Amino acid sequence: MMGSTSREVVRAVVAWLLVALFAFPIYYWITVAFKPERDIFALPPKLFDFNWNLSSFEEVFGISFGFDKGLEVLPGGGNFYMLPNLWASIVIAVLSTLLTVIVATLASYALSRMRIRGQHHFVFFVLSTRMMPPVAIAIPMFFIYKNFGLLDTYTGIILAHALMNLPLAVLLLKSFFDDIPTEIDEAALIDGASRVLIFRKIVMPMALGGVAATAVLCFVFSWTEFLFVLTLTQTSFKTVPVAASTFVTSTGTAWGNMAALGTAAMIPAFIFILLVQRNLVRGLTLGSLKQ
Amino acid sequence: MARTEAMTIRSGLQIAHAGDLTGRMAADVPPSMGGAARSTRRRKFLSDTPWPWLAPLITMLGVFALYPLFYNIWLSFQEFLPRRRSLEYVGFENWATMFADSRMWEALQVTLLYTGICLAIQIVLGMILALLLDSDAPGFGLLRGVLTLTLVVPPAITGMMFLLMEDPQFGLLPFVLKSLGIMDGSGAILSDPTLALWGVILADVWQWTPFMVLIFLAGLRALPKEPFESAMIDGANVFQTFTRLTLPMMWKVIAIAVLIRGIDLFRMFDYVYVMTSGGPGTATYTLSLYAWQQTFSFIKWGYGAALSLFTLFIIVVSANLFVWAAKLKW
Amino acid sequence: MNPVDRKLWLASLTDRFARGQMDRRSFLRSAAKLGLGAGALGAYSHLSARSGLGLISPARAQEQNIEWPEDMTNWLKEAAKPFAGQTIRLATESTPPSNAINSALKGYFTETTGINVEIETLPLEQVLQKLTLDVASGLGTYDLYYLDQSWMAAFSGDVVDPREKYESNADLAMPNYNIDDFLPALVDGISMYDGVMVGVPYDIPIFIQMYRRDLYEELGLKPATTMAEYLSNAQTIMKAKAPEIYGTTGQMKSGHYSLECDWTCWLWAHGGSIFGPDGKFTGNDEAGIEAMNYWIELKKNMPDAVTSWTWDGQGQSVAQGIAGQLISWGEFFPSWDSPNGSNVAGLMEATVPPKANSLRAVDETGYGEIPGVGHQGGSSLAVSRYSKSPDAAWLFAQWATAPETQVWITVLGGGTGPTRSSVYDDPRVKANAKVGIPGTTRHLDAVRETIANHMGSEPDLPEWTEISNDIIPVELGRFWAGEYDDPKTVMDTIKQSVDNLLAS
Repeated sequence: MMGSTSREVVRAVVAWLLVALFAFPIYYWITVAFKPERDIFALPPKLFDFNWNLSSFEEVFGISFGFDKGLEVLPGGGNFYMLPNLWASIVIAVLSTLLTVIVATLASYALSRMRIRGQHHFVFFVLSTRMMPPVAIAIPMFFIYKNFGLLDTYTGIILAHALMNLPLAVLLLKSFFDDIPTEIDEAALIDGASRVLIFRKIVMPMALGGVAATAVLCFVFSWTEFLFVLTLTQTSFKTVPVAASTFVTSTGTAWGNMAALGTAAMIPAFIFILLVQRNLVRGLTLGSLKQ
Repeated sequence: MARTEAMTIRSGLQIAHAGDLTGRMAADVPPSMGGAARSTRRRKFLSDTPWPWLAPLITMLGVFALYPLFYNIWLSFQEFLPRRRSLEYVGFENWATMFADSRMWEALQVTLLYTGICLAIQIVLGMILALLLDSDAPGFGLLRGVLTLTLVVPPAITGMMFLLMEDPQFGLLPFVLKSLGIMDGSGAILSDPTLALWGVILADVWQWTPFMVLIFLAGLRALPKEPFESAMIDGANVFQTFTRLTLPMMWKVIAIAVLIRGIDLFRMFDYVYVMTSGGPGTATYTLSLYAWQQTFSFIKWGYGAALSLFTLFIIVVSANLFVWAAKLKW
Repeated sequence: MNPVDRKLWLASLTDRFARGQMDRRSFLRSAAKLGLGAGALGAYSHLSARSGLGLISPARAQEQNIEWPEDMTNWLKEAAKPFAGQTIRLATESTPPSNAINSALKGYFTETTGINVEIETLPLEQVLQKLTLDVASGLGTYDLYYLDQSWMAAFSGDVVDPREKYESNADLAMPNYNIDDFLPALVDGISMYDGVMVGVPYDIPIFIQMYRRDLYEELGLKPATTMAEYLSNAQTIMKAKAPEIYGTTGQMKSGHYSLECDWTCWLWAHGGSIFGPDGKFTGNDEAGIEAMNYWIELKKNMPDAVTSWTWDGQGQSVAQGIAGQLISWGEFFPSWDSPNGSNVAGLMEATVPPKANSLRAVDETGYGEIPGVGHQGGSSLAVSRYSKSPDAAWLFAQWATAPETQVWITVLGGGTGPTRSSVYDDPRVKANAKVGIPGTTRHLDAVRETIANHMGSEPDLPEWTEISNDIIPVELGRFWAGEYDDPKTVMDTIKQSVDNLLAS
């Protein structure tokens, strides 16, 4: 008993240390956001004792947090004003996740329950659409988008991100449905329920954990995607990863502002993850344990 | 606690409950759906053929995946003429150039090396972390949550972050390594031909190991308990339990994780683009970066398309081999 | 007090405040006498604390009291009538003029003309990608192109010659636009290719000599006038101060255009050139090797980290106070004067680059290359041939490069040199030649003289993008990483690759 307790302690200590190692770059990045520019490059690096200041955030959010002046809204529209981009990121990530999950759930339910001929190859084909180097997709997509008027639109980016996430989503969700015993469907079918009804009322509720896990991954991949947004948008909006490159100017990189945006951008995605964290861990089983 | 929850999904209790539900619903169905010919038609339409269910997926992939594929195949036999501002048929010239291009073979080597090293580290480290975090003791939920933070940082920003941390003069990492006496005075990581790739790998490992952890953790949590209990009674030690029980039972989870991650690693672009521009020299030039540069910086669309297709070909072939070897079946 | 005088007075006050000759309280009191409310002043002191990067905010523009000449407003209103409601798009590098226009100035243009202006600011490589896609598809998704001088030849066929535009339609020709006011060397260096005027000169980052006044005084050094002096200055600083302060610094990251920029500077300074009159690479000739040897000597006085840096890291090394001198982009100068972003505020001085050992004449080089120590990286603003609103775009291009606009860009804290000679003389610009204010202009005299007498321009040929962004910086990167034994081998390798590319 003693041995097992001390083993648990060692395990906890090692786990905390390792996770701290992974969390450290994020802490460091957050301090960059709060440092005056000069301190970012100070040697030895200042990790704790620096003059905290909010000016990087003020520029990024267009808000002045000055305590003597009270909360004051600065006129927006400056180059480093990123609030609209943050908003665009959220809209795109949420809607593209929704689209992906809907399309992928339908497809993977069918693949799980109504096997098609050459199913194995079909699934591999779906997965193979993720194997194309993004640069190769960028040019044809640009032409399609220009022709369909999708260039520089929310719809366009939402579609592109959904497309990018579909293979992974189908793979994950299919294994999920595979985990749910088919006997349930069969019993219901014999009772005269339609596939749609079974899907909506029985299978979906049972697969919700997996759907949530899939949604998180789709959200994160859309949230962090760079190449499609760079190629397929122009002036109407940008998502965070592309907007961040605005801080790389011809007269130097605005590290503080970039870190401020990066820090701010972690929050919505992290909240989303925390909300479904339980399902995330449970949901990624990929159903592969079933032989 | 969570492990028991996971188990209930498979437990008879759950199925019995679902069966109840089915029974109730079947009783409800006829009044709400029966009767009208329209709904019978719809029911038939949606009942046993999978195609309506697959239609949205197939449409999207058809338009946005097949079209780019065929377009690229066509493009790889063309080349953009800068002086005439138009594409011109060049036959197999791009393909011939590509196979004779030493830069391409170097890039392929770098890409393979990068993919291999990253995968190995991420699997091992991911497994260690997953085993460590697979506990219901207080605080571990928080640890799992914190670990996922790395995933929400866009890779382009991760690249900048590590660029800053690995700066030989001002960076934190060289400073620490120098203070510990591990590194010599120059502090060069990304500008040192032997270290540069490792500098990029560091960023990748940092960002994506937690992804592996999530997948492995899910697998671990779904493992049945009984074999482990009997192993404990038989007096097997931790290592034996891991190699004889956990690993074989987790094999498919690991295989799928390797497949997904391997595909993404082979196409990796963001980190080298931001951190090294492929340098020093060509030490970190990956196929994706090379294709990108040929396409967009030098307007060699045809050549870029050939490079991309070659990359795609390698991935498809190796993924197929892998799926076959790992006995994955969908 | 009129706005200009007020501005002058405030600038001098701030100057004294920043130099520490005045305490904060009396600074505020004097400023209050100028009628500046606490709010305005608060904004001013807050913003002046930032570096020269992103401070061109709308707030700062407001407090500048920008006033536009009435005749300009009237003319713009009249000329733009047919185009009101159109939208024009521009993808540009995040440079000082683009930032100033996007953040602070374009509101006036849109209000006056009814033409919407949408500007996308990106890092240089991404701008190139956007242009490439637009041009190769011929779709006209952008109306204006930001053309770096190194891409000029590649895109010369995709633009409208402004002179054509300017002469063909008198209604669209801005009065007092005065095309001759552009510095003649610039028109030639960044706007002309093969007899076509590709665009109007938009901004001009250029290599000037910059050094630490405090170090030079302490060590009894004088700004170098020859290349040998420049090297010996670096060695003196290195000897006295290393490793706290290095003799000089550099932008020598493998595979990045900045490495090629540094190389051309040393190459030209030693009488070399990139191309000979026969269009063959000549960087491997005697002058080229001499330049490499000089560079090798000079590098011994730089931090080891230079091979990881582009202009960004180089600028940071100066700001952090670890470099004694450099010949590089003058546009970084203002950011070093900002007390919050830099350790050397008020300590840097700017002057013209040292004289070249010998200079090749233009007819001894190829593809219009102009040797000169002051490597320029200017850019021009061009109207796309595929644009659907070329007239609106042309109006904007004129307004964006008009003398008045350039003055405000410069005053708002730009950093790049204006492209018009009248702007250098403008009293509002001169008033900013002070220490410690955002966007000082005290380096502009050096910039102007460098443009006139020391400027070097890269060759213009469509393949130049590939040569300057890939072949040269990749091979030089290998060299500095120690993969070549001697400079001759690397130059021979480059020659082979470049000549092969041009032959095919």
